[in-house]
Amino acid sequence: MQTTIPSTSAILSSLLRADFTTQWRNRRSVILVVLVPVVILISWKGLVEKLGGTFVLSNCITIGLNAIGLMGYSNAIARDRDKGVFQRLRVAPIPSWSIMASRLLVQLAMILIVTTAVFVTGFYFDKISLSPVGYLLGFIAAFVGGTVYLALGQAIVGLIKNPETVNAVTRLTYFIFIMIGMFGELGMLGHELGEVVRWSPYGTVKRLLSASMDPHTWSQDTTLYLLATIGYTIGFTTLGIKWFKWNTR
Amino acid sequence: MDNLLKRSVLQVEELDIFYGSFQAVRNVSFDVKAGEIFGLLGPNGAGKTSTLSAIEGLLKPQSGNITVAGFSIKDKPLHVRANLGVQLQATSFQPELSIVEILKLYAGIHAVEMNDEKLKAILANIKLEDAGSKRFGQLSGGQQQRVSLVIAMIHEPRLLLLDEPTSGLDPQSRRQLWERMEALREKDHGIVLTTHSMEEAEAVCDRIAIIDHGQIINIDTPAALIEKHRNDPEVIGASRKGKITLEDVFIGLTGKAIRS
Repeated sequence: MQTTIPSTSAILSSLLRADFTTQWRNRRSVILVVLVPVVILISWKGLVEKLGGTFVLSNCITIGLNAIGLMGYSNAIARDRDKGVFQRLRVAPIPSWSIMASRLLVQLAMILIVTTAVFVTGFYFDKISLSPVGYLLGFIAAFVGGTVYLALGQAIVGLIKNPETVNAVTRLTYFIFIMIGMFGELGMLGHELGEVVRWSPYGTVKRLLSASMDPHTWSQDTTLYLLATIGYTIGFTTLGIKWFKWNTR
Repeated sequence: MDNLLKRSVLQVEELDIFYGSFQAVRNVSFDVKAGEIFGLLGPNGAGKTSTLSAIEGLLKPQSGNITVAGFSIKDKPLHVRANLGVQLQATSFQPELSIVEILKLYAGIHAVEMNDEKLKAILANIKLEDAGSKRFGQLSGGQQQRVSLVIAMIHEPRLLLLDEPTSGLDPQSRRQLWERMEALREKDHGIVLTTHSMEEAEAVCDRIAIIDHGQIINIDTPAALIEKHRNDPEVIGASRKGKITLEDVFIGLTGKAIRS
C-alpha cells in the first residue's frame, strides 16, 4: 500500500474552505467588527473638516484592525485550542504552520473587508475621497498595520492558556488601545501621554495609514513609524511563537 | 489467524518521556501487528496518553524510537501520520462546521477523493444519513464517536489509535463500536486501544499491555494474563466474586490506591 502525502496546495485549500466557512457562520461577530469603525466614522462626520479625511479614516481603520487581531483572531485561536481542534488537525499529515497560515489568511480577508467598508462609508457619508494611489497604499498599510494586532493577539494567546482569560485580557487591551489611542490622538491626554500614544502600536499604525492614504505627506517620521510597526510585529510574533502551545494541558 | 506471522504496523522501542524532571514514560517497548487490537491499560496518570501522544507526534520523547508502517517518526513524521488514524480523548472539530463539511475537510487534508456518492455512503455506514447538515455538537455521544471514528479511518490508515473511545457511551453504542473495531481488525488494520474498561479490553483486545508509573509491567493476551496471575495473593485479594477476572489482575498488579 502506497503512502500518500497531500500537497501543500491541497492542504491549504481544504483548511481555507473550512476556516472561511467558520468565519461565515460567525458573521454576526464579523458584522460587529466592521460596524464599530463604521459607526465611529459616521459619527465623526462633523470632525472631518477640522481633523482631515485621512486622520479620521486612519483612526477608524486602526480601531477595526484592533478588533480583528485582539477580539476575533485571538479568541478563536484560544477557543479552538481549548477544545482540541488543533490537536485533531495536527495528527493529520500536514505541517503545523499550514494550520496557522490558513487562519491568518482569513484574517487578512477580514482586514480587506474592514478597510473597504471604512473607505466606502467615508466616501459616501463623510465625502472623503482619496487618490487611487492613496487607496492602494491605504490597503497595503492596513495589511502591514493589521499584522501588529494579529501578532499581539498571538502573543496573548501564547501567554495565556485559559480562553476566558484570553477573552478578558483582549477586551481590556482593545478598550485601552481605542480609548487611550483615540483620546491621545485627539490631544486630550496631554503632551507626555500623547507621545506615548504616538509611538504605541496604535499611534504608529494610525500614522502609517494616514501617510499612506495621502502619499505627499510621507516624511522621515513616517518611515520611522513604518519601522516601529514592523518592529512591533516582529517582537509580538517572536513572543507569540515562542510562548504558543498547541494544547492547554 | 496467526499474528506472529504478520508484519508490525507499530514498533515502540525504549521510549522515555519527561515533563520537566518528572518521568512519565520509562523505557516502554511494544509492537502491534496488522490485524491486531492491542490494549494499553493503566490507572490515571500511568503514561498511556503520553505514549499515544508520542506515537501521534504531538509530543517529542526524550529518547526511544517509534516506527509506524516502516516509517520512523523522527525521519518521516508526515509519512507516519499519513499511516495513522487517531481518535483523541479530548478532541473536537470546529463547532461551526457541519458533519459533511468536517468529512470534506479531513478527506482534503489526507488527499482522499471525496464526492457526494462517497459522502452518502460514509454517512449511511455510520447510520447518520440524515445528520450530514448537523453540527458535531448537536450529535449524541454515540453519534459523535461514530463520526470521530469514521474521520480517523477516512484515509484507510494501517494503524488506528483509539484513546478511551467508549467512555460515556451507552451499552448499545459501546457494542456497536466494538463491532466496528473487530471489522477493522478483519481488514488487517492494527489498532491500539486505551481504556479503563476491563470488560472492553477482555472482549476485544488480542493482546494487552498493563502500564503503571510509566512502565509496562506485563504484556500478553487477556486469557494468558489471567492465567499467569490467578494465584497471585494481590489478585486473589482483589477478586470480588471468586472468579478471577482481568480487572482483578489489573488491580492486583497496579494496586488498589486511587490515582489522581
